[in-house]
Amino acid sequence: MISPIDSALQERIDAYLKRLRRALGELPPEEISEIVREIHSHIVERVESTDPLNDAALTHILGALGNPEDIGSLYQSRAMVARARASTSPLLILVTTIRWAGMSLAGLVTCLFGLIGYVLGIGFLVSPILKMLNPERVGLWVGPHYWDLSLGALSAAEQGRAHAQEVLGWWLIPFGLSAGPLILVVTTLLLRWALRFAFPRTAVRQNASDGSSQ
Amino acid sequence: MVDQIANWEAQIRKGWLEVAILATLWRGRLYGLEIIRELETSSDLVVAEGTIYPVLARLRNDGLVEAEWVEGGSGHPRRYYKLTSSGRKRTLILAKHSNVFLGKMTALIKPLLAEEK
Repeated sequence: MISPIDSALQERIDAYLKRLRRALGELPPEEISEIVREIHSHIVERVESTDPLNDAALTHILGALGNPEDIGSLYQSRAMVARARASTSPLLILVTTIRWAGMSLAGLVTCLFGLIGYVLGIGFLVSPILKMLNPERVGLWVGPHYWDLSLGALSAAEQGRAHAQEVLGWWLIPFGLSAGPLILVVTTLLLRWALRFAFPRTAVRQNASDGSSQ
Repeated sequence: MVDQIANWEAQIRKGWLEVAILATLWRGRLYGLEIIRELETSSDLVVAEGTIYPVLARLRNDGLVEAEWVEGGSGHPRRYYKLTSSGRKRTLILAKHSNVFLGKMTALIKPLLAEEK
């Protein structure tokens, strides 16, 4: 640590780095250490070139560096995208896409597409259970003027009014069990493709070139 | 209105920061603070100094720069960054595109600025 500086100032630096470390929470420990080490090196460099170093000067140095939570969030976003690009977890991919939605219009559109896909997929997956619970009212209803896959149910009044007819019958169960997972998988793959397209990676060299002379 | 312009400026800075960082590394290796100083003298892109480090991490993950810890003369280590060969290629392409883009934008707004005078 920095030897010739006042202990109160040192405490402030340590507190800043502690906040940064906390803000980097989800990253691998070795990556967190590297980041904190680099930011610490930056602060030391600034401190050494500041004379006189007092409370106000340190406030200026840390202020110029920025809020540790903001810095942590920038690292987290990058790491989350990197993980999602390589992942098949629908949850991770969806959460990353939601985060992307807050950054751009393309992200928002992709996120909406993903949400629709997942709702549809889960709906198909749940429909066999609903069909077994309420076979009379759950199904793919076709009326004279519309097609309606009613995953909940058509009320008796709706059925009567529209002269709706259920066309899948018990076939809804195998249909839902195959279409549901298929839609979920396709949505996940398309979202992952969109993330890879939006955040391209020219080469994967994670940590490979980061030699340490320490 | 002032907030909208500030927001627009922030987005512009964010967009150009990556190209600017790559450009500062064109002549050789630099550590974080040197990159910031270079950007401060040649542009006003850096608002919060800490924002360049996540960008450098992304460039490193993309294989455009490589990093190395070096023990500094002043007794503490510094993390130096330098362009990889694919980083040099990418920087050159981005520089050419930037040049064309900026030329067109300048031509577009030049009459407007002349009229205002």
